Amino acid sequence: MSSGETYRVRMSGISKRYNAIQTLDDVSLVLRPGEVLGLVGDNGAGKSTLSKVLSGAVVPDAGTIEIDGTLVTFNSPADARAARVEMVYQDLSLCDTVDVAGNLFLGREPRRRIAGISFLDKKRMHEQTRQMLDRLGIVIADTRLKVENLSGGQRQSIAIGRAASFEPSVLIMDEPTAALAVAEVEAVLDLIRTVSARGVSVILITHRLQDLFLVCDRIQVMYEGRNVAERLIGETNIEDVVNLIVGRKFNARSAANAYRDGAPA
Amino acid sequence: MSDVTSTRSARSRRGRESTWRDAVLANGSVVSIALFFLAVCVIFSVATDAFLTSPNLLNILRQSAPLLIVAAAMTFVITTGGIDLSVGSVLALVATLSATLLQLGLPWPVVILAMLALGALLGAVQGYFVAYEGIPAFIVTLAGLSVIRGVALLITGGYSIPIEPGSPFTVLGRAWLFGVPAPALIALAILAIAYIAFNETPFGRYVTGIGANAEAVRRAGVNTRLTTLFVYVISAAAAALAGIIIAARLGSGSSNAGQGFELEVIAAVVLGGTSLFGGRGTIVGTVLGALTVAVIGNGLILAHLSPFLTPIVTGTIILIAIWLNFRLFRGAVRSG
Repeated sequence: MSSGETYRVRMSGISKRYNAIQTLDDVSLVLRPGEVLGLVGDNGAGKSTLSKVLSGAVVPDAGTIEIDGTLVTFNSPADARAARVEMVYQDLSLCDTVDVAGNLFLGREPRRRIAGISFLDKKRMHEQTRQMLDRLGIVIADTRLKVENLSGGQRQSIAIGRAASFEPSVLIMDEPTAALAVAEVEAVLDLIRTVSARGVSVILITHRLQDLFLVCDRIQVMYEGRNVAERLIGETNIEDVVNLIVGRKFNARSAANAYRDGAPA
Repeated sequence: MSDVTSTRSARSRRGRESTWRDAVLANGSVVSIALFFLAVCVIFSVATDAFLTSPNLLNILRQSAPLLIVAAAMTFVITTGGIDLSVGSVLALVATLSATLLQLGLPWPVVILAMLALGALLGAVQGYFVAYEGIPAFIVTLAGLSVIRGVALLITGGYSIPIEPGSPFTVLGRAWLFGVPAPALIALAILAIAYIAFNETPFGRYVTGIGANAEAVRRAGVNTRLTTLFVYVISAAAAALAGIIIAARLGSGSSNAGQGFELEVIAAVVLGGTSLFGGRGTIVGTVLGALTVAVIGNGLILAHLSPFLTPIVTGTIILIAIWLNFRLFRGAVRSG
């Protein structure tokens, strides 16, 4: 394991139990700088829980997390954010009735103080938003558009752009291409490439296996809370990955377990 | 190079177009209430001689000042997805208590400050239960409506308490400055502050955000509970200010003041285009909504129609205005 190389992220021995269900069982994960890692597995395999451990939303029962070689403990999403780990949630966390710039800068709006009262500096906010969108290649005509008027792909891009604007070293994305039109999937995948080219390490959780082969460097397959396989993208193909995800299910000791494990996905 | 400029200009052209469309759609509710307001004004100007005279218009402003003030504050509450049913009761309690305290000989500035502080405190208590205990605002403020009015009745025994006519306190309700009634000037100042706070400050932004997606705002690191609590502080403090103005204008504090006031306020806000589901609010719309409600009441009286028609007409207009909003403007947003 430790070949002297410093990983951006190194999680080892991560376990998490919800009552009778062992959601994560001695799971490890490594991520190199600028790498895009595809995390796949059936529903309930534990990939969402694992990503929540890394983003601080779930505290594991056991195991260690190292970021750039330093041991860290995440008790809240704020801790993870301080260690520059950002997560784009599946529900996107956008405010529909607030404009594009407002969503990108939510909670950290540029301000100017007049007579001791802080006002929104809208001009600066829209300028910076425009620069940010251009830098990431996100095509949105007007930063004053309300998010509710955008397409699904544009909304996803805003959510990713927002996370990327925190200059994270690790960006976790949970199903960013689910429920998008074909052309929009392309745009989001382009955005993932752009972000990783900027040196950000990306963990991509997805059910769309064809996406993995377009953006990922490496794939990690989980099954019933354990790592079952790791493949470099050049050394595998879709059938192989499908077999890894599904194939063993029918050889498993009991199919009933798999169903129960499905609960805390 | 030329490639870059052509995409730039293409983008800005698309940008201008969507801004224009967006502006119309976003302000559709304000446009529709503005048309309603104008229509109502035109009808009464034609139907009655007295309506379109400056004494009458100033009178409308004077009488609607409490409504304007509280409706502006209520816009914040409703935009977070909440509601404050207790404003009429807070108004009554403040009106009676200020009359009582003035009778006890307290100086009027102390009375005013104490009453505003009382309003803020009542709002903070209700806001605590809404924001920190997670009880629906409707329940909390319904309880507040009952309890606070009850306290007002208990203090006065149901009688109205007179305020000495010479007291400088009454200036707040009766004075004229620069040819404009003092309550109207106070309302104007409050509306200006509300407009700026709603549109130009981080607080206003978070109020809208909480109504749209509170969890997203919380994840962004904003103290959403404190923000939510604060909107109830604002609405109750505004209700207290309205209570002071009404007591000053009438020269007495009655525990029956402001009955049904909360419904009038909510009607004005919703008529103005603020969504009861939260996330969408407009101070300009609220002002137009409140003025529409006020003008209808005034105009029906000037037209020598039964004052009992007022609630009927107001209610009908609310339904029609909001129906138009849903049909014309919401529908357009969805399909566009």
